Amino acid sequence: MKLVTFIHENQERIGAIDSAGRVVDLHRAYASYLRNVENSLSADQLAVAVLGRDMVEFLKRGEKALDAARKANAHAEKNPTNDLVLDRQQVRLMAPVPRPGALVSAGKNFSDHVSEMSSKKGPSDPVAFLKLPGSVIGPEDDIPHPPEVKNLDYEVELAIIISKPCVNVGVEEALDYVAGYSAFNDISARDVIRAENKTGIHLMGKSFPGFAPMGPYLVTADEISDPQNLKLSLRVNGEIRQDSNLGYMIFKIRDMIAYWSQLGLNPGDVLTTGTPRGVAAGRKPDQTPWWLKPGDLVEAEVENLGQLKNRIVAE
Amino acid sequence: MNICLGLLESSRPDQTRIFAEIGGKLIDLQLAYAALLSQSPEHQANAYKLAAFYFPETIAAFLARAEPAKKCLDETAAFVRRSGVSELRGPAGEKIAYDAQEIRLLPPFLNPEKSFVIGFSDRARVEALPKAEIPTGFYKLPQTFVTNGAPIVWPKFSNEVDADGCLAIVIGKAGKRIAPEKAWEHVAGATLMIDITARDINKREGLTTNNLLGKNFPSSTCLGPAVLIGNARKDFAALEVELAIDRVVKQKFALCDCVFTVEQIIARWSILGIKPGDWLAIGASMALQGDRLQNPVPLNIGSTICCSSPAIGELSHQIVSAGGLRR
Repeated sequence: MKLVTFIHENQERIGAIDSAGRVVDLHRAYASYLRNVENSLSADQLAVAVLGRDMVEFLKRGEKALDAARKANAHAEKNPTNDLVLDRQQVRLMAPVPRPGALVSAGKNFSDHVSEMSSKKGPSDPVAFLKLPGSVIGPEDDIPHPPEVKNLDYEVELAIIISKPCVNVGVEEALDYVAGYSAFNDISARDVIRAENKTGIHLMGKSFPGFAPMGPYLVTADEISDPQNLKLSLRVNGEIRQDSNLGYMIFKIRDMIAYWSQLGLNPGDVLTTGTPRGVAAGRKPDQTPWWLKPGDLVEAEVENLGQLKNRIVAE
Repeated sequence: MNICLGLLESSRPDQTRIFAEIGGKLIDLQLAYAALLSQSPEHQANAYKLAAFYFPETIAAFLARAEPAKKCLDETAAFVRRSGVSELRGPAGEKIAYDAQEIRLLPPFLNPEKSFVIGFSDRARVEALPKAEIPTGFYKLPQTFVTNGAPIVWPKFSNEVDADGCLAIVIGKAGKRIAPEKAWEHVAGATLMIDITARDINKREGLTTNNLLGKNFPSSTCLGPAVLIGNARKDFAALEVELAIDRVVKQKFALCDCVFTVEQIIARWSILGIKPGDWLAIGASMALQGDRLQNPVPLNIGSTICCSSPAIGELSHQIVSAGGLRR
């Protein structure tokens, strides 16, 4: 299933993408199913109780909510009325998890990227930093270019969305804790990061508003047979900059989940994999032509997960 | 005036309430204000509704109500003192005044967007370091927050845990790219914070310029117990914050010991936008003696940590074992 969070009539709602690529409003479709198929009396309230109010609450409800979503989806396919099923143009997609509790982004996790960033060698333990959850935006939202930033960069990554409380889990069982996957772009202000790293650690340089485009869907884990073997690519104004495969990750998806489960992860928390080579900061000899500037269109794509299309706009 | 966030024993986890410490009791502010309003014929009919508006479920939401809500707080406090704490009842006879042990105290802020610790900010530490031009900081995940009395669980992955006392400046008014001279207008108060660090992990992470697991394991951020309301430098200039381990004072500092001013810190971090309930803490790594990074104050299973400031209160915690410990 492809799950989404979307805005329709100024309301944040959760949905699923049907076989025709349209958006099924899960609460309305499940309530309709309960009312018409199961003759439920308080269908609307029951739908909220079973599905939760937003994607994090949905994920917390686990298999029961997923099962309800499948029923809602099938019901809407049979009864595609325009209050249950919306055209893509009628909605604005948000990130599937618009407000993750924690957003843990790996760094230095592709050997080709480690060498382009002139680090001597890869790390011995997984490296990551926290991006502020408030920097998450939707798959087609604009990315504001802050006036403080000179060197704005992109990093296509895979986002791994956690399904259930995940504390100190082993590598073998790690994938059991994945709800699904999304495409992700780890927007980075290299000059701000450099200035922060001089006397401290970086935080602001990765966490300006809009620095974490994610989506368009949360593709549930059952639909991705081998997440470790997906192509990922990024284009700027149509020109290919990054083109690689998650197979080149130094610490694999399983390793990352097992290691970062020491933080105590919760449903809806997001881990991102780190990025392969091809970022602007790695361009030789001159980086200047590749820094993102207002007007640029950044398209980040992960195989089978869809594409992010974000326009850079002056803030 | 100090306010805190708590739950009554019988309440659901989302039914949080704001309390004020008055006359040795914790006063339910929403009900106390309703009691005050119900004395006036003009507001009697809407007493509960108005009280729920000015004293909502969280301190962050209360701060977002800005000056009118602060005025209500002052009026309510004066009313409570006037009426006598022990006599006080709600409009329908509800209990308003509680003993501390009747309330489950919560961290004053449960889910802020910005919960930052300004790193390397004390004079004692930075003398040994290159002079920082900008106040850098790190992020403490809300899921790590605990408050006074909660046990701190020794993280299994570490052999070296220590604690730093901090003063967290609490934001009361939203803003973005705030000019230094306007900074205090955006402050609502201050609370205490203890930054618990798995130092061995933190040192290793530091080599790769990151700072995550060593600072963000469960119960690694003690916050509270109350928010001292105020929004001028003079309200906080005289505050002294002390950190004691097993009753021996190890750290002691005031706002003036920070190499960055509150004005500079707010000007810098408001670039990202700040909101009521966000906080910016200073003081981490402030030490009384020596360079603590080379000579840390070690904690052990059973150690008690106490961070206190007379006007705010104290955070008192014990380190407990999670089992399967290496130490």
